[in-house]
Amino acid sequence: MALSRRTLLASAGSIAMTAGLTTACGTNDLDDLLVEAERPPEGPVTVRWWAGKIPARDGGDMRPAIIRAFRRKNPTIRVEIVKGLSTTDGNRVALTTQIGGGSTTPDVYLGDTTWPAQFGANYLALPVDSLVPESFWDPYPQALMQASSLKGKVYAFPCYTDAAYLFYRKDLLAKHGIPVPRTWEELERGARRIQRAGDADYGFVWQGSVSESLTCVVTEFLADAGGSVLDRSGRVAVADEPAQRAVSYLRGLVDAGVTPSAVTTFAEQDAMDAFAGGRAVFLRNWAYAWGMSEADGASKVAGKVGVVPRPGFEGRPDSGYACLGGWSNFINPNSENLGAAVAFARFCAGEEAQMMLLREAGVLPAMDTVLDGPAAARTGDPTITTTRRLKLVARPVQTPYYPQVSKAVYTQVNSAIGGSEPVGGALRAARSDITAALEGKAL
Amino acid sequence: MRNQTTRGWRRYINVVNIGALIIVVLTTAPLYWMATASFKGTGEISASPPTLLPGHPTTGNYADAFGGNSLGRYLFNSALVSVVSTVVVLALAFFAGYALARLPMRGRGPIMIALLMISVFPAIAVVTPLYLLERSAGMLNSYQGLIIPYIAFNLPFSIWILRNYLLGVPRALEEAATVDGAGPLRTVLSVILPLARPGLFTAGVFTFTATWAEFLMALTLNSEDSFRTVPVGMALFSSQYTVPYGTIFAGAMVATVPIAILVLVFRRSVISGMTSGAVKG
Amino acid sequence: MSTTGTTGTTTGEPSGAAARTAGKTTGKTTGKTTGRTARRGTARGTGRGTTERRLARAGWLYASPALTLIAAVTLFPILFSVVLSFSEVRLSYGGFRIEGFTTDNYAALAHSSAWFESLVFTLGFTLVTVVLELALGTAAALVLERLGAARGWILAVLLLPWAMINVVAAQLWGYLYNGTYGVVTWAIEALGGGEPAILGRPVPAMAAMAVADIWKTTPFVAIIVLAGLMQIPRDVYEAAEIDGSGPWTTFWRVTLPQLRPILAIAVLFRTLQAFGVFDLPFVLTQGGPGTATQSLAILGYKTLFQNLSIGPGAAVATSTAALVMGCCLLFLRAFRAQVDEGGR
Repeated sequence: MALSRRTLLASAGSIAMTAGLTTACGTNDLDDLLVEAERPPEGPVTVRWWAGKIPARDGGDMRPAIIRAFRRKNPTIRVEIVKGLSTTDGNRVALTTQIGGGSTTPDVYLGDTTWPAQFGANYLALPVDSLVPESFWDPYPQALMQASSLKGKVYAFPCYTDAAYLFYRKDLLAKHGIPVPRTWEELERGARRIQRAGDADYGFVWQGSVSESLTCVVTEFLADAGGSVLDRSGRVAVADEPAQRAVSYLRGLVDAGVTPSAVTTFAEQDAMDAFAGGRAVFLRNWAYAWGMSEADGASKVAGKVGVVPRPGFEGRPDSGYACLGGWSNFINPNSENLGAAVAFARFCAGEEAQMMLLREAGVLPAMDTVLDGPAAARTGDPTITTTRRLKLVARPVQTPYYPQVSKAVYTQVNSAIGGSEPVGGALRAARSDITAALEGKAL
Repeated sequence: MRNQTTRGWRRYINVVNIGALIIVVLTTAPLYWMATASFKGTGEISASPPTLLPGHPTTGNYADAFGGNSLGRYLFNSALVSVVSTVVVLALAFFAGYALARLPMRGRGPIMIALLMISVFPAIAVVTPLYLLERSAGMLNSYQGLIIPYIAFNLPFSIWILRNYLLGVPRALEEAATVDGAGPLRTVLSVILPLARPGLFTAGVFTFTATWAEFLMALTLNSEDSFRTVPVGMALFSSQYTVPYGTIFAGAMVATVPIAILVLVFRRSVISGMTSGAVKG
Repeated sequence: MSTTGTTGTTTGEPSGAAARTAGKTTGKTTGKTTGRTARRGTARGTGRGTTERRLARAGWLYASPALTLIAAVTLFPILFSVVLSFSEVRLSYGGFRIEGFTTDNYAALAHSSAWFESLVFTLGFTLVTVVLELALGTAAALVLERLGAARGWILAVLLLPWAMINVVAAQLWGYLYNGTYGVVTWAIEALGGGEPAILGRPVPAMAAMAVADIWKTTPFVAIIVLAGLMQIPRDVYEAAEIDGSGPWTTFWRVTLPQLRPILAIAVLFRTLQAFGVFDLPFVLTQGGPGTATQSLAILGYKTLFQNLSIGPGAAVATSTAALVMGCCLLFLRAFRAQVDEGGR
């Protein structure tokens, strides 16, 4: 076999090359990086910012406006946009390949709020807590800080957040004399009445497909029922009694026909289409759904939609839980302009940029103090004015293995909702999958 | 020829024509929905029951695809990368395929197997090392940074198809040319090349479409917007929670046009290359 | 036009009959018609030794640009990935590094039910789609071969699905299969199929995926096979006609054996592609319902790019490649005579 001899030689060469490639750029020390990051830039520098479009309320893009405002304060730092994708997955592929491959650009990148622990643990994001005074984090939601940190270190600067709401058809509820539901049980009864009258195909639509969105839905319903995926001590609590109640409720919605069985294929778009097409009474969705359902022409239900915090379960004291979503700015530890990168990320988290987001953008600013101010009320956007009434819950993201944990949740619960697994069995399977994931043993 | 005497439309009813009709209908039915959806407004796209024709035809989706996004630029990049890759692949694969089919080199079997092994390796696994390689070579964010890997990863299949195709070409022809005093290179170019046209067409179509649609390398190797290709550009259409079917389909319609033109242009040469053996009277 | 005789008249080349009788003509013969006689001619000329060596040198000369380029670009990434799959990979600031040899990554696969489920799905998907695509593609090629003027146009139409960007084609099918307003869903409902939730149940989801794949890649098979059909010499058919074979017998006895080298390629490369199926499940179901449609490529992708588990991800990829390679080698062994015909 002449081939194998040649292959062996080539592979030996290739291993040597590998070693060369990785050691050549693997010598950075965290302390040096942090010193570097504290130093303000000398002379003009360019920071490259990887970010998907931040939609403005008028359909435009907020990114250039934020950069202009930053330039006014920091004339020596130029910021260039690298058009990022807007989907979490596409961005993750592009960014992990680049930064894991040692690339010095982008210097700052806008990433999902579920990333910090994983990216921090994998050296793809610089810990930034030592660069700012402790009081810096005070104006941001507790859940966001929780989501952004791992083992006491914070890996991302807040940019904007997202939260889930219950959207409902004002006209249909009024027609049937049904009050806005305060519990899930009420919602189910009301929806069924309207469906029976033939006024809507579906009672309640949400996201049940095999994706991160389902983990969000489950996180919320678990909170409603008084549970969580991981409890305070880090134990896997996903098969406990509250989880049984939460997932049984979701399964029951499908069995009762309140939620279509196609919900197991629903992502945000599908649920939104059903609601905006006038086919559903209730919708669980993120803040963007307000603008979508009020859009003339695209939506059949414009002017007939109400927004409230999510209800709770009967007999439980709490309601209004909402999964925390959104995007934060991360610093590429390989960046050659760490000081400038940090300055820009801090600016996006600061009051001026947050006020711009509040006034002009179609996203929720991360800063509570901005949301509390009078300017928030003036927007007239119910998702903004109700945000402070929400109880934001973070997904169990404080582990480097969050993607595996989430996958265990959404695949098993999806099977339970679709009816191919009993609820109890699916949750026990989820528990063992999550346990394996937390030990780093899951694929 | 005999059945041509049958009068009227009935003479068109035969297995071949019905088969062709079925092929066309099955192929185009999904495309029809894509085409009409690209002219529908946001509400109508998700209307139930679906509408057969756009109720209020709009070109808004096309405006979105071109205006809000630099689709024109992406199209140019894609065309450049795909055309150059395809031409180089065909040139290199033709000679390699001929050599492997015909010339008495030792180790042809292992070479063919090795080529196969390259083709079986999943793209997700090679993209990170490729990134490292290109970064150290300073080839990121450039046209050649995409073209070179595209050529290398598409060559194996093209070599396979041309070699197997050329196996079927009678040897006597080259021998005749050699006896006539033609050198080996002239024999290949004047005798084999014209015969290889259907094989080249197949390999060319394969390479062009594969490079035209490639996503993962294009996404990771070229992060600069000015070097991005259509598939990556179209992935930029989606936002986190929305899949704008209208815009995507409008983009897809536009992205399909170059392929259709290419096929229609080369159709003639291919058909003439094919007909000599295919006329069934 | 008669069934025998002059061919290639449009390009002004000598007729097949002339070529056959003369044995050698000017260098411009197309030779589509020389057929059996020539094919069976095994004479390689005299003065073997030196000629052979000269020809072999020419062979390496012709093949080396392609082979060098392939080796230069693909060898490193592939071997790198294989090395990673046997390594403990640690990330650090400035990129990841390899620390030590381990087989843990493969042990993790062997202990993972997800990997086995993915393997079963991928194998099943490959088997079903390749068989159906081959059958339908060959049928389509036979139809195309017999078409006259319309052939070029139909060829162009056929190529449209194949030329579509994979992700977009998957999105198109996602649109057609949409659980609330998709036209397929609507049609099934109209035919009394209740609320189908096509992509929400394992078996319909798999079937839907197979249909989408068949739609997209059958044209590719058809074109490969068509190129092969074009190459079959006329007189082979004539001989069959003289023997009084019907069309069916002719197909099995004459056409199919002649097509084998080409069909082998189609099988080989369709298998490779089907084994790597990614975009369809990724867009249509994200691997669901549950993990019913999680292909090996999706599993590898999630492991590599979502979990950032580089070692296990490389192991998924490498083991997939090894499995496909194994299948291909078995296939080649079984069809050795056909694929290697004239090759040694």
